[in-house]
Amino acid sequence: MTRYIIRRLLYLIPVLLGVSLIIFVLFNVVAGDPTAVLLGKNATPRQMQELREQLGLNKPLFAQYLDVVRSAFTFDFGRSWSSKQEISQMLRQGAYPSLCLTIPAFVISTVLSLVISLGVAFYRGKGIDLFVRFCCIAGMSVSALAYILFFQYFFAFKLGWFEISGFEFGFPDFVPFIALPAIIWIVLSIGPDVRFFRTVILDEIYQDYVRTARAKGLSEMHILLKHVLRNAMIPIITYVVIQIPFLILGALLLENFFSIPGLGGITLNALNSSDFPVIKAMAILSSVVYIVFSLISDILYTFADPRVKLK
Amino acid sequence: MKTNSLWKDSFKQLARDKISLISLLIVLFYALVAILSATGIIAADWSKEVGGSNLPPSFEHFFGTDFLGRSVFIKLIRGTQIAMSVGLATSLIAIPIGVVLGAVAGYFGGWVDDLITWLYTTFSSIPNIMLLIAITMILGKGLFAVYVALGATSWVNLCRLIRGEVMKHKEREYVQAAGAIGGGHFRKLFIHILPNVTHIVIINTSLQFQVAIKSEVILSYLGLGVQGEPSWGTMIDDAKLELAKGVWWQLAGATLAMFFIVLAFNMLGDALRDSLDPKLKGK
Amino acid sequence: MTTSPLLSVRNLVVDFHTSEGVTRAVNNVSFDIPAGKTIGIVGESGSGKSVTSLAVMGLLQKPAARVPQGEILLNGQDVLKFNDDQLRRIRGNQISMIFQEPMTSLNPVFKVGEQIAEALRVHKKISKKEAWEKTLHLMNQVGIPNPSASANKYPHEMSGGQKQRVMIAMAISCDPKLLIADEPTTALDVTIQKQVLDLLFRLQQEYHMSMMFITHDLGVIGDIADDVVVMYRSNVVEKNNAKHIFTTAQHPYTKGLLACRPKLGANPKRLLTVSDFMTETGEEKPVSLAKIEVFDKETVPDKSDEVLLEVNNLITQFPIKGGFFGRTVDHFKAVSDVSFKIKKGKTLGLVGESGCGKTTLGRSILRLVEPASGSIIYGGKDITHVYAEELRLLRRKMQIIFQDPYSSLNPRMTITEILTEPLNIHNIGASKTERIDMARALVDRVGLKVAQMNRYPHEFSGGQRQRICIARALMLKPEFVVCDESVSALDVSIQAQVLNLLLDLQEEFSLTYLFISHDLSVVNFIADEVGVMYAGKIIEMDKASRIYQNPKEEYTRTLLSAIPKGEVKSSLSSLVHK
Repeated sequence: MTRYIIRRLLYLIPVLLGVSLIIFVLFNVVAGDPTAVLLGKNATPRQMQELREQLGLNKPLFAQYLDVVRSAFTFDFGRSWSSKQEISQMLRQGAYPSLCLTIPAFVISTVLSLVISLGVAFYRGKGIDLFVRFCCIAGMSVSALAYILFFQYFFAFKLGWFEISGFEFGFPDFVPFIALPAIIWIVLSIGPDVRFFRTVILDEIYQDYVRTARAKGLSEMHILLKHVLRNAMIPIITYVVIQIPFLILGALLLENFFSIPGLGGITLNALNSSDFPVIKAMAILSSVVYIVFSLISDILYTFADPRVKLK
Repeated sequence: MKTNSLWKDSFKQLARDKISLISLLIVLFYALVAILSATGIIAADWSKEVGGSNLPPSFEHFFGTDFLGRSVFIKLIRGTQIAMSVGLATSLIAIPIGVVLGAVAGYFGGWVDDLITWLYTTFSSIPNIMLLIAITMILGKGLFAVYVALGATSWVNLCRLIRGEVMKHKEREYVQAAGAIGGGHFRKLFIHILPNVTHIVIINTSLQFQVAIKSEVILSYLGLGVQGEPSWGTMIDDAKLELAKGVWWQLAGATLAMFFIVLAFNMLGDALRDSLDPKLKGK
Repeated sequence: MTTSPLLSVRNLVVDFHTSEGVTRAVNNVSFDIPAGKTIGIVGESGSGKSVTSLAVMGLLQKPAARVPQGEILLNGQDVLKFNDDQLRRIRGNQISMIFQEPMTSLNPVFKVGEQIAEALRVHKKISKKEAWEKTLHLMNQVGIPNPSASANKYPHEMSGGQKQRVMIAMAISCDPKLLIADEPTTALDVTIQKQVLDLLFRLQQEYHMSMMFITHDLGVIGDIADDVVVMYRSNVVEKNNAKHIFTTAQHPYTKGLLACRPKLGANPKRLLTVSDFMTETGEEKPVSLAKIEVFDKETVPDKSDEVLLEVNNLITQFPIKGGFFGRTVDHFKAVSDVSFKIKKGKTLGLVGESGCGKTTLGRSILRLVEPASGSIIYGGKDITHVYAEELRLLRRKMQIIFQDPYSSLNPRMTITEILTEPLNIHNIGASKTERIDMARALVDRVGLKVAQMNRYPHEFSGGQRQRICIARALMLKPEFVVCDESVSALDVSIQAQVLNLLLDLQEEFSLTYLFISHDLSVVNFIADEVGVMYAGKIIEMDKASRIYQNPKEEYTRTLLSAIPKGEVKSSLSSLVHK
């Protein structure tokens, strides 16, 4: 077990180097010299040279690459170009509102989707199953933007049930602010989740061991909740755990629309002000979190499936 | 003498299913609209003022007019062209890369496989939306950046699927038999294995196409997409401020236009999976 | 005095409704199973025997399967009229079932002990602890060593035979009145097959159960069935006391089934098949006496003394990965120091159970797998290290026919494409039409219809597909053919036809065979010389007749005793003259 984890941990190194390489190529090679943009038209060559030095852009390319790699381990991303703030500081502040929104939304939508998909799997092929399947696909076909615009307009602006925008720190003060975006998140994720869970569960229902369970005299409900679900949990765990990194990234659009000062909002602000280091930091941070959680999902996998041998 | 290839069987099954037939027709219709618009036969004069500002839908203007008095309906047609071109370009980038890398990795194994697996693991480790934002930001706003960004993110999944499937087929006896009659690697991989995994490409493309359309809308909304031309995303961006004034038709139009094509591709993708995937046969 | 039977199936009809239309899987089938007796249901795949058993269990897949007519009476009550709740109470309790595939029939994520205990907990009102104790007792009864440790294993940690024992333990846990066994031994190795059959027989006696034993092979149930029901194309064609079936079969199909299985020792030159007894339309036809004359192939003089293939000290090994970075830490010798010679025009048979290395050996000789050391000398030339063009030319002389007719044909190619491909690769034939003509001739020769050549593999039955594989192997006019379990996946009746075809082709094209199989009686019938393989080595090799008359090794004796004896009771002549 420990050996497996260590091997899997060692594999993180080439992947992290690869991620750093992509980000380095994008921002340090393709993007070109940012000093002209930063200093404006009237900058002297001397000023530009100084800034380059300050940003570490005069170093040889390999050294610049090492800087990117280092930031992936130390989380020291330098300062923002627009606000001049320490980026790691900004990220720490932004994480709180983002997680306040995404964690409850994620937990509720996952549990709800699982319950719905077990229900439709039980009634597979019947009217209710077809209806739910159609709703999932139809729901997924509406743009996320349309949901947000409509819900915000109708429930917050027209009916006044929720706050239109903003955020307050501390529980329970933030609840009225995150309630509507959380609902929208749930509506947005139920479609794809139910669709995936249902497929996985149905794949299992047609296996031979289910026939054995029936021959034993177990009830359909018992078979579904014990035998089928336990096997279906294996792919479901992977699917769910792999989504967790996106919680850290925050709900980009939701935070933007509802003016929640989370990581998503920070990303979009940086995008509008061409604040490269912030985008770079977000890309690295989200990749690192993704890599860590895919490791966790692999380890959980070995608990869920006794067939996986730990070498 | 009547004979049926697996392909024919699958498409017969597909044609019998009314929903997938309608979905296919919707896709073809959108493609036709996009081609007519791209060749300038329709919607060339989208920027012309056709009436007053923010007119509600009427028989004259199906989806009303925008604040500059332009027809929302004609802008939607123009947006169709953008959306379909993004879907197509993404597929044209993703399919060759995904299929070739996936097939080579799955077939040859060893260090080639290690290298390609590392490559796609790396790409899939950066959350799609971050990679999309980073690429479009660096390459500058515009359609070209959107093509590259979506192409760079969408080959990964296809590559992984093809690799797994090729690995499975490589061990099948029919491939061994091709070796026993003197066939080389090229014949085994391209003549025997690839036709047996093509269904994955078709299913994946159908689903990837709608992901590309949805992503284009979001990127355009964020101002990273097409510039100086209407797209469904920019139309929704416009509608954001108009909604409070009761001007809902631009949002409704863009949402509906996107809804039908995404729905059609989703339905088609599911139906293709049911009819083409040999694993699901006989259930 | 008449006692009513435990189970009585009366005029049962089962239809399958699909988008293609309605197919009748079971047509007007009636039979009785008296208490404490074993009924064998025999028929080839698709004859409706498994569907009948699923109907008894109430496990037919609705709504595709429908029962428009018939009764299944269990102690006088019609199971077909039961609701889900009533059905559940009899399943696993009064009627239980074991299936063909022990590999997939157990839930992979639960311990086997839990899975056995679950059946007990559902039907008997007993505590968890009692259920576990009963489970250990049951596992002991079905011969699983060290029950308390084995009960905590997961299915993938057990062998196929052990898994089937677990299935049996589960099935008998609630003292059922009827045990349905659907081809329970088909997926198992011959020696394990024998053990499982013995176990089932013993348990049936101990528990005074009735048993419904479903198989495609009459030989399997010869020793244990009291009555036999023979099914053919959805109908019952004959039912009778087992003794009568084996000695005085009435229906030509039953006779064909009895005759088609090769026997140890005396065999005719070609095996009799169902079609020797019966016309296409099901009419009985007379069998010519010449066909049953016993033929001793050892009396046929060798045509040539030339050694075509010589294998010396061959070793083929696979790396075992381990350590931190998946380095190769050791090697598994699949073929370990094997030597033999085959004379031109002769057949060497190799028998052994799964995992003994016989398949790897066949593939190593053809250089589909690279041997690690030793030499392969073909036609006087060392071919162990030839590559590229030379290896390609070698492929024209040496061919292989695989086991699984379903996966060995490319599903996206027509028969014409499959058969002309070897010609294309080797540039044989001047034009496409000439190549197609060559394919056509061979298709006709292997007994398929030339008109079907534009069809795809999935439109053919298993036996037909194996004929296509044979034709493909022969397209290049090879001298030497490896038949790797080439008849093992086929029903016995089809198996006989394919074996006959292989012998005919050998005569016609003077082929040399290496015939690999797990079935000693098949090898004994087709081969001149037989090698017994065990753990990568050939432990015994001799003339076919001497191997079964006078086996030297203990393992060979085990293999021989595992062959079902059922048919030995019936002689061929009794089938022809009744």
